Amino acid sequence: MIEALYNTLSYRGLFWLSVSIISYMTALWANKTCRGHPAAHPILITALLVSIGLYCSNTHVSDYQRAASLLHWLLGPVTVALALPIYRQWQKLRHYGWRLLVSIIFGGVLAPVSAWLTLFIFDTPSAIQFTMLAKSITTPLAMESSAQIGGIPALAAVFVIVTGIVGAVMASSMFALFNVRDRQAQGIALGTVAHAIGTAKAIQMGDDVAAMATLGLCVNGIFTALALPVVVGLFI
Amino acid sequence: MRNVRDTMVGAALVFAAYYLGLLIVTAASLSIPGPLLGLFILLGALFCFPRLEPHVARAVTFPLKHMSLLFIPAVLGVTVYWGDIKTNALAIVIAIVVATSFSLGITAWLSQRLFNAKESGDVANVKNNGDTDD
Repeated sequence: MIEALYNTLSYRGLFWLSVSIISYMTALWANKTCRGHPAAHPILITALLVSIGLYCSNTHVSDYQRAASLLHWLLGPVTVALALPIYRQWQKLRHYGWRLLVSIIFGGVLAPVSAWLTLFIFDTPSAIQFTMLAKSITTPLAMESSAQIGGIPALAAVFVIVTGIVGAVMASSMFALFNVRDRQAQGIALGTVAHAIGTAKAIQMGDDVAAMATLGLCVNGIFTALALPVVVGLFI
Repeated sequence: MRNVRDTMVGAALVFAAYYLGLLIVTAASLSIPGPLLGLFILLGALFCFPRLEPHVARAVTFPLKHMSLLFIPAVLGVTVYWGDIKTNALAIVIAIVVATSFSLGITAWLSQRLFNAKESGDVANVKNNGDTDD
């Protein structure tokens, strides 16, 4: 933390921090203009704007990462803060009990395993295969766990975000295809498979859907982060 | 003034849980992410002292809402792996697009079946389902 603060309190640090925040605010505005369409996700727009800034000022990405390390460091405390939504949804969790947990664990296993299987069949490098295993959980946890199992955290962040966008965009047609009309079930699937971006989509669909999505997001994130190092450890 | 104090208390709790989690994971060399243990510690604290909830809520609602900004440095790091992504582009696209879509549909289908079984199962609760527990 001391190092992150030290980096921030320099001319470069403050400059790139401001660039990031201004880009993010622009991205929020753009997302609002697109009526919150998942493909206009603020992360994508912010990343695009910041990289234009890096390109124009001829700054290397690693220099930017050092300058903006405070942002990266804050991911840890924000992960801890996910305790609040879990606490608030506890009644729901108790009401549906094991059925809810089975749904979440099923989705939490199916999504990464099917993706990993695809990469395995195509014979991609093992670092990418391991990274893909963390794709369906919320970004801070995905980065931590992919680092622990020999994946690439930066790649994990991108896989996670693209997964979320795909999930949010495809949700309506997939629910129609599988004939899923139960709103609670839709929420669970969105949160479990498409994490925070799916949850954002669920928020647009209504409070009851959002509550279930939040549970899916948090519970799957915890289970996957706990299970991945153990499971991968067994096979290597 | 009270709001400021509430926020400070909430933030202090989150940071305390975070560092305690890191400390325990490092000291006991556990194989779980430190922040995850911190999450459990904070959750435990909330269950033991429900009065803390508004404090924590005041401190974390804003950062949770704008978590996206915090991913930017990490996401930009991906440019370093651009070559790897390009060579494996087809596999990655199939893995993400096809696998995610079907996982989403199948998971929703399964949970719909499970929830329906529950709802027809406990007759006493049928009327209440969906709106009482929000």
